[in-house]
Amino acid sequence: MKKNKVLLIGWDSADWKVIDRLIAEGKMPTLKAMIEEGVKGKIATLNPPLSPMLWTSIATGFRPYKHGVIGFVEPDGKGSVRPVSSNFRKVKAIWNILTMEGYKSNIIGWWPSNPVETINGCMVSNMFQQEKNGSKIIEQENWEVQPATVHPERIIDKIKDLRVHPHEITLNLVSPFVPNFAKLGKGDDSNLGIISKFLAHASTVHAAATELMETEEWDFTAVYHDALDHFSHGFMRFYPPKMAHIDEVEFEMYKNVVEGAYIFHDMMLERLLGMVDDKTTVMIVSDHGFHSDHMRPIHIPQVPAGPAIEHAPYGIIVAKGPNIKKGEQIFGASVLDVTPTLLMMMGLPIGKDMDGKPLVDMFSDGRKATYIESWEKIDKFGGELVKIDGDVENDVTAALQQLIELGYIDDLNIENVNEKDRVKNIIKENSFYLAKSYSSTGLHDDALELLLEVETKSDPDYRILHEIVNCAVKTNRFALANEYLQFIRKEKILIDFHIDILDAKVQIGLNQPKEAIKLLNKALKVDNQSVIILLDLANIYNGLQMKKEALKCFNKVLALDPENAHAYYGKGLAYLRADEYEKAVEEFLNAIDRLYHFPLAHLYLGESLALMKEYEAAIGTFELVKTMMPNLPKVYRWLQDLYDLIDDPIKSRENASILGKMHLDKRTIICGLPGPKMEDALSMLKQNKVNIGKSFDVLKTQNLDVLKKDWFSQLEGDVIYLPLQYFPSLNSRNLNKFIFIKDSLEDTIEHMNKKAKIKANTFNFELMNNLNKIEESTKSWFGKQPDVDVYYLSNLDKLMEII
Amino acid sequence: MKKQTTKSIQLNGETFKIPAGGTLGLLALGNIGVRAWKEAKAANVNDNSKEKNEKK
Repeated sequence: MKKNKVLLIGWDSADWKVIDRLIAEGKMPTLKAMIEEGVKGKIATLNPPLSPMLWTSIATGFRPYKHGVIGFVEPDGKGSVRPVSSNFRKVKAIWNILTMEGYKSNIIGWWPSNPVETINGCMVSNMFQQEKNGSKIIEQENWEVQPATVHPERIIDKIKDLRVHPHEITLNLVSPFVPNFAKLGKGDDSNLGIISKFLAHASTVHAAATELMETEEWDFTAVYHDALDHFSHGFMRFYPPKMAHIDEVEFEMYKNVVEGAYIFHDMMLERLLGMVDDKTTVMIVSDHGFHSDHMRPIHIPQVPAGPAIEHAPYGIIVAKGPNIKKGEQIFGASVLDVTPTLLMMMGLPIGKDMDGKPLVDMFSDGRKATYIESWEKIDKFGGELVKIDGDVENDVTAALQQLIELGYIDDLNIENVNEKDRVKNIIKENSFYLAKSYSSTGLHDDALELLLEVETKSDPDYRILHEIVNCAVKTNRFALANEYLQFIRKEKILIDFHIDILDAKVQIGLNQPKEAIKLLNKALKVDNQSVIILLDLANIYNGLQMKKEALKCFNKVLALDPENAHAYYGKGLAYLRADEYEKAVEEFLNAIDRLYHFPLAHLYLGESLALMKEYEAAIGTFELVKTMMPNLPKVYRWLQDLYDLIDDPIKSRENASILGKMHLDKRTIICGLPGPKMEDALSMLKQNKVNIGKSFDVLKTQNLDVLKKDWFSQLEGDVIYLPLQYFPSLNSRNLNKFIFIKDSLEDTIEHMNKKAKIKANTFNFELMNNLNKIEESTKSWFGKQPDVDVYYLSNLDKLMEII
Repeated sequence: MKKQTTKSIQLNGETFKIPAGGTLGLLALGNIGVRAWKEAKAANVNDNSKEKNEKK
């Protein structure tokens, strides 16, 4: 039986904002038709959004810390460095799996895919189109195909003359990008050379891809183009509307370049689609988007990978084919999902160890995904790296030079820096990216360990120090966070503005909301358009249940960035906490509309619907949250109760049973100010023979290290009375129920005075401030825990019922 | 003055003209476009050198 083919097209940096505009103007007709015949959606990138890491995740289904391809440059094992390659990939790529299963693949231009692998089919690496030796261009007559860039060698003859050299690109070809090029002065035409190079590289990749598709047998073809990314980094600042700091003449000259690049990709797409039949499934993906509007940064940080600041968090995914739905949108896609989805398209099982999931919603035939434990454990030949004979240093230097020109890596100062230092610098840089990859999935401990290993205060790197503080806060190591924060401040490694924002993060971690607000307001005076500061500020206000202030900040964010899902989500939370459920639902839906894979927005949407007594809708929402966050106990608790309410005891029991297997700490935590009501509450518990243990005494006398993760589990008792000052270091993961006894500050002080035998009319303002701070800090802590249920009790009638 | 030879190729029933300076449309055709363009350029060079030789 003839197998259905799959064509995967990678467009680095392709972004919906540009595409939607061009489609509306009739300038990308091929993509428009493809969308109409298939499905489209946003695809979430990973952090850090660096292309070689992302395209390897796309081709493997694994996160960078599992697939091993990190950064733009890597040590070559011989004491020097080289551009990131396939050598460090630790897991199988889709083409290896397909080779194992007897499918034939064409892989063209994938980044990184050098050296090529001896797969079943053809592979043309990302170095094939390079025409440079260091910073010098090799003339066309001397332009040889570099070793290990093509597999099998027999295809070299038919594709080598299809390479387009930048010097072949005529003004005729550049003019659609820069129509007024004739007005450029003699010394001002360097941009035309840049455009020629991008165009030549794209044309080479496309020519090789079309040749292999036409002349070789294949089941799967993957072709990767970096041109949109390069055109965007070079020219997006000239894309309309004009940015205030851009020179009018330059704007007029280069405003069409990005548009031209997208149109050229649409033209290439037309040819590719014309080469496949109706039985072929075609999918286009990008690894991230690219800011094209008011979110475009004015300054690019002068650090390695600094240009990545221009990357937007969502790229594009479009698919069409015989088993793909038509005219629909898909939601919740991530770059990690591409390989699992490709496997499903090819009728192959997905590795359970992959980080991605198949995008089952795109299929029209109701097919189900099948799984195996891991493709890594299957011992079949999937292709091996082609060994390079002899010296190919020139080729490597050329690729490094290109990365330097694009701003992705520092000028390695190849002549003047000794190789040992160069390797050391690259290891440090890549460790930073790896740490970012860890911390992006909550593995802050691993990230911190790695960062502390490479960071030396004698040669400080502000990005690493910044990340150390972030990770230290996330792992409750506040002493460490403060140590590094003070170091940054003392050595003036960052300007005050950035230090204040970082300090605010530490204060939020320490549950010192008022301190954080002060710092953020100070920073806001320097940049009142900062979405990050406004969001941090709004979230603190939300935690303190200061709805008016929170909404004001969220609305400011939305004025600056109308598509900001986090601002809509924050507004939803503010309304939910004020018991305004209809408004909350509207805002959560706004958030989900902009960012579908937003589990907490779905969770609170479910809660709002449940509180509106929309039980069926709430159940549907919680069932979805279960697929997004399968380890969140709160969802199962809600579902258990909601199924009970709609008389579905079987489903209720199912959820109760899952909850039972979660090994949750079933103890209730009671907390609040040490006032008269708290004393009454503790007495009531004792009278009812509840074992409340002596947690406070244990903490004091046994000197438990509250920085250790498991300190709470060492406390005894069915109900734990936990003084408020311990909340910052409490890990809420396995906890579920908190009772906060509400007492007034005045009553609490009077009660404390009485116990300390201080005169009744003595009023201690310092004590009042401290108690106020502790109470705010606890509220702030509760605001950050999505999975806990908090009961605020002003009277004790229901205390025993809740326990 | 240099002589401009314009060749053409057929694809899916359509005729594409091939000016020696190339077009984006040709590059977008991939293998066939690049090959035809390179052939047209080579032919153009040959025609011009032939003309030059004849004049001599």
